[in-house]
Amino acid sequence: METIRNRPAETAVKGRNRARHLPSRRQLAGLFFVLPAVTFTLLFFIIPLLMTIWMSLHDWPLIGTPSFIGSGNYDTLAADRQFWTSLGFTIRYTLLVTPPIFILAFVLALLVNLPLRGVGLFRTAYFIPVVIGLGASSLLWVWLLNDRVGPFNTILRQVNLLQGSLVWLGSFDTALFAIIVSVVWKTVGFTMVLLLTGMQAIPQEIYQAAMVDGASYLGRLRHITLPLLRPTIALALVLSVIGSFLAFDQFYIMTRGGPRNQTITVVYWIFNNSFTYFKMGYGAALSLVLMGFLVILSMLQLRLLHREISY
Amino acid sequence: MKRLSRHARVVAVLAILLATLALSLPSSAQEPVTIAFWSRDSAAALVQSLADAWNASHDNQIEVTLIPAAEYITKLGTAIAAGEPPDLLAIDLIYVPQFAAAGQLTEISELAAGLPFFDTLSPSHIRLATYEDGLYALPFNAEASVLLYNKDLFRQAGLDPEQPPTNWQEIYDAAVAISALGEDIDGFYFSGACAGCNAFTFLPLIWASGGDVLNEDATEATLTDPMVKAALEFYHQMWTEGLMPETALVDAGAEFLSAFFSGKIGMMGSGAFSISTLKNEHPEIDFGITFLPGKEGGVSSFAGGDSIGIPAGSKYPEEAFEFIEWVLSDEVQLEMFARTASLPVRTDLAENKYFEEDPRLTTNAQAMALGRTPYSLVYNQLFNDSNGPWLAMIQQAVFDGQIDEAIAYAQQQFTEIMAQVQD
Repeated sequence: METIRNRPAETAVKGRNRARHLPSRRQLAGLFFVLPAVTFTLLFFIIPLLMTIWMSLHDWPLIGTPSFIGSGNYDTLAADRQFWTSLGFTIRYTLLVTPPIFILAFVLALLVNLPLRGVGLFRTAYFIPVVIGLGASSLLWVWLLNDRVGPFNTILRQVNLLQGSLVWLGSFDTALFAIIVSVVWKTVGFTMVLLLTGMQAIPQEIYQAAMVDGASYLGRLRHITLPLLRPTIALALVLSVIGSFLAFDQFYIMTRGGPRNQTITVVYWIFNNSFTYFKMGYGAALSLVLMGFLVILSMLQLRLLHREISY
Repeated sequence: MKRLSRHARVVAVLAILLATLALSLPSSAQEPVTIAFWSRDSAAALVQSLADAWNASHDNQIEVTLIPAAEYITKLGTAIAAGEPPDLLAIDLIYVPQFAAAGQLTEISELAAGLPFFDTLSPSHIRLATYEDGLYALPFNAEASVLLYNKDLFRQAGLDPEQPPTNWQEIYDAAVAISALGEDIDGFYFSGACAGCNAFTFLPLIWASGGDVLNEDATEATLTDPMVKAALEFYHQMWTEGLMPETALVDAGAEFLSAFFSGKIGMMGSGAFSISTLKNEHPEIDFGITFLPGKEGGVSSFAGGDSIGIPAGSKYPEEAFEFIEWVLSDEVQLEMFARTASLPVRTDLAENKYFEEDPRLTTNAQAMALGRTPYSLVYNQLFNDSNGPWLAMIQQAVFDGQIDEAIAYAQQQFTEIMAQVQD
């Protein structure tokens, strides 16, 4: 995100310097302009965050009276086997789901960036799954994967790849594979659009100059597109990794955390603790620890991918 | 001064809103009120017909909100936490201790004691509605678990449809015979990924054999009971021998009853609700109802259903109780419950003219009377949670065959969870 903010930030600093010399009425007006944003941030981010921190220091049942327990929830968390298993599983899921999304999105972006007639149709087609709610798409996939009435098994049987029936969501490996396929289908369009915008922002002159110099398609891809796409990739990667880390719906709907509780993600575990076991305080502590992980992870990714770009 | 005038306008609008609100609120008890009533959707038909009948004959109105059964506790918990509980609620009897202990239900001991038929109310419901000598709810509807079987398949397999199984061996033999009828026909079914379904239909197999999963006062887990292991081995054997369809593995309850609709399932555990559903929607299926048996015989049942109570924050507790009293009256129990194949919640009305017409209903009423219900403040976490130890044990034991490991892990988890409420 730093790359994106850099330039507007500079202008903002300059603006502030200039504002010092303006009449106070206009300063006041400026304050009013930012007031909605400040109120919004306070109301929907800062205050809830402070409340979450406060709750995490309590034994806070969803119903009943809270009592202060200091770091009690964090001590429980350290010894909570399911939490660490869930964190491990969430990391594993993120590592498995991110590369296919990126590779496929990149290839699709290259394809729909071609100046061909009717390419808009494909862009729309690839993007449509993004518009469907994750809940709805998960339910759709549950049906697609059904061992008796689902079309996948029928097709596999017809091409003799499958005999009998395969209960996709019944064992860990096939369930995880099926969920990854469904998530890639659901989200690849979004990453594709991000990458496409990035590609279209690259000035055509650079490509033309390279072509004059005799650079091949792959050469242009490797030495122009990829390096210049770096900030876009960074943004898409951060969004995608955060999304995967916060995965919940697909596991809640498609596997209910099963089989044998092997697909319980961190957010799923937070949900269970807060709303099934009514331990809001503990849920708050888990959420904060997860937020910590995400902050570190996002900073790492941005640092790795951040580099000044000049055309 | 623009800002001030805008403020003034906002204040004016608020004042008008408050005034309208104040006018719409009842100024005295005589004026009719609207009672917000919550129920889980599984009881939808009954609840709606009750509300309609009540609304047609009373000034105070009942407004029903139906909530998906699996989300009920979450929804209720968050509504209470937000300070907006309903005025009246029907709740799975199993959860009453938890909500009573949290101080979220109004104690109604004295009001209930005044009911002329108090002594005839379903004993399981009353026991679960009692917390530290106070009564916090009354029975609303009853669901006892039974063994449902397809008489046509019994006939085809050369079994006597009037002689349903009375022990596990007979269930097994019948399942083998029925499974042999065809590749797509299975002898037995259970929802292998549904926690609550298996508390309802699997626990009675253990109870009927003389075993239990909790000690008498529900302070200790007793999953190491040999009958728990025997019951798991029984299911595991039927699973490995292919007497159940593969779908059992992932069914989180969606096909708890509908699996039977295909006419290709020989036997499965179910409840009273299946009788009216099957009669109305699948009259082509000739089905029988019998008790869930023990290993060597004996019978048991899970006495479930909903209780009805008044949340601590109810706006109209007295009016709400009038509705409860009406629901439990002779006329409503007979004409609105028994006539539509719902079990009455009063033992003195279990035998009635409507049930005499269909012996399957009487079997269900008897199952309710002999049924048991665990009493626990952490019932949801132990049994009904899809990620809890109960379901994890069943899955690991039945599908993976790791019976001893599954039991050991569940015993440890049960103990841990139960320790949370005892300190």
